[in-house]
Amino acid sequence: MHHTSTAERILRGFLLTLVLLFFLFPIFWIFLMSFQTNEDILRIPPSLFFTPTLENYIALISGRLSTVAGDLDIAFMRNLWNSVLLSSLSVGVALILGVPAAYAFARFKFRLGENIAFTLLSFRFAPPLLVLLPLSLYFSELGLSDTYLGLVWVYQLIALPLILWIVRGYFEDISPDIENAYRIDGHSWATTFRKIAIPLARPGIAAASLLAFIFCWNNFVFALVLASADKQPVTVGALAFVTASGIQYGQVAAAIVLSVTPTLMLALYAQRYLVEGLSLGAVKG
Amino acid sequence: MYDREKDLFKSYTAGKMSRRELIEKSLKLGVAAGTANFLLNSASTAAMAADFDWMKHKGKSVKLLLNKHPYADAMIANIDNFKSLTGVEVTYDIFPEDVYFDKVTAALSSKSSQYDAFMTGAYQTWQYGPAGWIADMNEFISDPAKTSPTYDWDDVLPGLRASTAWSGVPGAELGGADSKQWCIPWGFELNNIAYNRKIFDKLGLAPPQNMNEMMEVAAKITKDAGGPYGIGVRGSRSWATIHPGFLSAYTNFGGKDLKQDGGKLRAAMDSAESKAFTAQWVKMIQDSGPKDWATYTWYQVGTDLGAGASGMIYDADILGYFMNGGDNKEAGNLAYASFKANPDAPTPTSNVWIWSLAMSNFSKERDAAWYFMQWASSADHGLFGARKMDFVNPVRGAVWKDQEFRDRIAKSYPGYIEQYEASAPDAKIYFTPQPLFSTLTTEWAAGLQKMVTREVPVDEGLDQLAESVNRQLKSAGL
Amino acid sequence: MFRRALPYMLSLPALVVCIGILIPFGTAVYYSTQRYNLSFPQARAFIGLENYTDFLSDSAFWNTIEVSLLYTFLTVTLELLLGLGIALLLRKPGRFNNMVSILLLLPLMTAPAIAALMWKLMTNPNFGVLSYLIGLIGFDDFRWASSPSSALFTVVLVDMWVYTPFIMILLLAGLRSLPRQPFEAAELDGVPRSFVFFRITLPMLMPYIITATLFRLLDSIQQFDIIYAMTQGGPGDKLMVFQVQSYLEFFQYTNVGRSAALLMVLWVITYVLSNLFVKHWLKLRERAHGHA
Repeated sequence: MHHTSTAERILRGFLLTLVLLFFLFPIFWIFLMSFQTNEDILRIPPSLFFTPTLENYIALISGRLSTVAGDLDIAFMRNLWNSVLLSSLSVGVALILGVPAAYAFARFKFRLGENIAFTLLSFRFAPPLLVLLPLSLYFSELGLSDTYLGLVWVYQLIALPLILWIVRGYFEDISPDIENAYRIDGHSWATTFRKIAIPLARPGIAAASLLAFIFCWNNFVFALVLASADKQPVTVGALAFVTASGIQYGQVAAAIVLSVTPTLMLALYAQRYLVEGLSLGAVKG
Repeated sequence: MYDREKDLFKSYTAGKMSRRELIEKSLKLGVAAGTANFLLNSASTAAMAADFDWMKHKGKSVKLLLNKHPYADAMIANIDNFKSLTGVEVTYDIFPEDVYFDKVTAALSSKSSQYDAFMTGAYQTWQYGPAGWIADMNEFISDPAKTSPTYDWDDVLPGLRASTAWSGVPGAELGGADSKQWCIPWGFELNNIAYNRKIFDKLGLAPPQNMNEMMEVAAKITKDAGGPYGIGVRGSRSWATIHPGFLSAYTNFGGKDLKQDGGKLRAAMDSAESKAFTAQWVKMIQDSGPKDWATYTWYQVGTDLGAGASGMIYDADILGYFMNGGDNKEAGNLAYASFKANPDAPTPTSNVWIWSLAMSNFSKERDAAWYFMQWASSADHGLFGARKMDFVNPVRGAVWKDQEFRDRIAKSYPGYIEQYEASAPDAKIYFTPQPLFSTLTTEWAAGLQKMVTREVPVDEGLDQLAESVNRQLKSAGL
Repeated sequence: MFRRALPYMLSLPALVVCIGILIPFGTAVYYSTQRYNLSFPQARAFIGLENYTDFLSDSAFWNTIEVSLLYTFLTVTLELLLGLGIALLLRKPGRFNNMVSILLLLPLMTAPAIAALMWKLMTNPNFGVLSYLIGLIGFDDFRWASSPSSALFTVVLVDMWVYTPFIMILLLAGLRSLPRQPFEAAELDGVPRSFVFFRITLPMLMPYIITATLFRLLDSIQQFDIIYAMTQGGPGDKLMVFQVQSYLEFFQYTNVGRSAALLMVLWVITYVLSNLFVKHWLKLRERAHGHA
């Protein structure tokens, strides 16, 4: 590539600093808040200096919260677990359904193919409210209301189109010639799909899964409408600190930190696929 | 003494202590044996059980839908009492206040039989009732086979009983002829002033007595207090902005939300009284309200008072009550005063919010659910909640007469009982009951926002509002 | 025979799972043709398109269309430009750049409904760190979401904060998977960099840009969490977008018919927009493969 001049390096550094400041300062501030009491958070003017406390985390993890009005049970860890369960199951199901379909759309031109693909995409833009309310009626008849199975199904509205359309793009970027060569070697279609196509598209699958996971994680209206309190995700759980006797900002902040952690770990783990510098480019026809 | 007791009960309710331990420790603390027993079981259980078959529904189970609220906490802290009194199992789903009413609507509109009873505001029953989602409680209250002779329904404050009863005819008087009792009052709020004594003392101010004084005092605080602004009131785009201070003062000046016109309902927001008062209200917010008033809900109004960012609030009395405790910076510095906006009005007219218990029409355990509701709204539980927890304001006369409760409040909440007693006689719901309540009040709040942010002058804004309200009433056939 | 059936076999399970969701969708369409307010059960009746024709003369409806489209346009455009810029900055693979790109995903990982609560606190004039900081540089009366003149700016800012990383990560993955030869050839020939960017990078990246934009568009036009949590659609009707309005119509006003009709309009708009995008995407794909 081009040689980078000093001026350009400085400009790059400056721009990157601005970007990091804009995106990470609020996170940094929330992180700090998670170690503060409500009184410290509500100071005028706000200040960087405070005596850190672990109270917020202790309350969340132990499930007991002391407020003006006495001790309260909080189901935060249960909410966190629900989120993990719902998001990973939903993404898992979406992968099983979506990746083969994505491959089909990328590799084969077939009658109605584009129509099916577009229909699947359209689930993404069916406004959730529109679908949810009638759905709650049908769910009670099907015995699906208030079950994880029912929720995972509805979560496909979020996860499936995302996985399908992103992964499809990656499959299309991989030349079919490699697969053909492998098949001429006498391997079945299924083996080729498993051993060649999927590994080659792995960065795309990783990116799509991660994004789908995040979107499932952030949803709260599905579980709110369709399930009872013991199946609510962390997004609903974090709202429990908004109470009539005040908003417990410290605990909301700690809840954010705790709820981001699993996703962050997943992202760090997926990183090597995600941004490994896909040298696949050379493969393209 | 009180604090130590409270700690004790805290650790009990938090599950850190067994019941046996609690009884032993309360005895050591010198809590009268009778009291300790009352709190945990037998004495009151025995008294209540004497002439009524509480065990009739033994073995049944009811499920509640609850808002995360101190009232629900107080109930949960005492629920073992109910279980051993009746042998009825109680389970509950608690949802955060932010999404609570959405959950109620979702559950009831899908006709789910999952929940037997739930918490609601009285206003909401104006939608739930006509929709056929909730049961008329009269049939239970008036049936001696279902209701204990010690229940004493008439002990519930008359204004609250009336405010939760409605015939279902849009515009008909609350508590009037053919009313159905849509819900049972549980705990309520009236709207008055809570103020920061430190700021008031520093500036040599007294709590305002009427609207003009309120504007002056608020302006003075904003100007001279060195940071804090004058008055906190709600301003978000929601019905919740209209019902507290705003409607209380509005009513005091003779303002009405709707009026009857040949059997039809018509908007009354464009009346002369309404325009004059609204202009004052808008100016007060512009001059001395919170800078980002248009996003202010219950939480922000309370937080600012508790953190010393505002000098006073004109909002629910229990909001000021909550802010005087906990880890709020100004805890202990707050005081309370009754407020009569119109100097020429005979009494304050405080609009009320009533957290109530309603029974789902889809419940399959109605009788057992009524046992629960009956117990939860009884004087016994009311006394427990008022003395030991934050179950205020009580809805029963008997609880207000209780010396232990009064002493507790008088000690830590100066002026609270006085503001209550000055306003309670005329405290009730001043809205016209009709199913478009939340549509029209939300629009009312949006209109106020436009006036405060100077998008539209007050007179014109109210005319537009009235016009739009009339259009909607008409298209709904009201 | 197997080869012809294969693509159907591969895509059918996905379709079947989603068809189940289509049934309630049909029910909702049916509701939209009714006068149906849960609080007026006796008044329920079939009224054909009346819910829709009512919109035509309703200024609030046109305001909703305008606000929704403006919001979508602003957020998608700004996020696309910013996301592309950041992806270019982080293009070179390396430990530092990879780490930064993961950290930049953090805003996306905080649920918007909760993040908005925090933004509300940070922009509070008393306790808010952002209000304090911009006060230091002279804007001490800036009212963020509560003033009609800055409300849109504020929610767009929060939207950008949350969703730019989404575009960034997709484009970054795209950039890094581009073939190297054209760039190497261009460098050998000493082609100016602006030329390389506009004539090589951008066209080759276009399918990724379209995918990312499409998904962002679908979400942005249906924005609810951020706007509802920060202003509930106010001040006045400044931020009354589709989802907020239909949410109010259903959950607060129990007006199912009107809520469903409103959402149907939103659905049609989204359908048309995404159709345009997908057509374009397919065309680009075709061309790219034509070259191959």
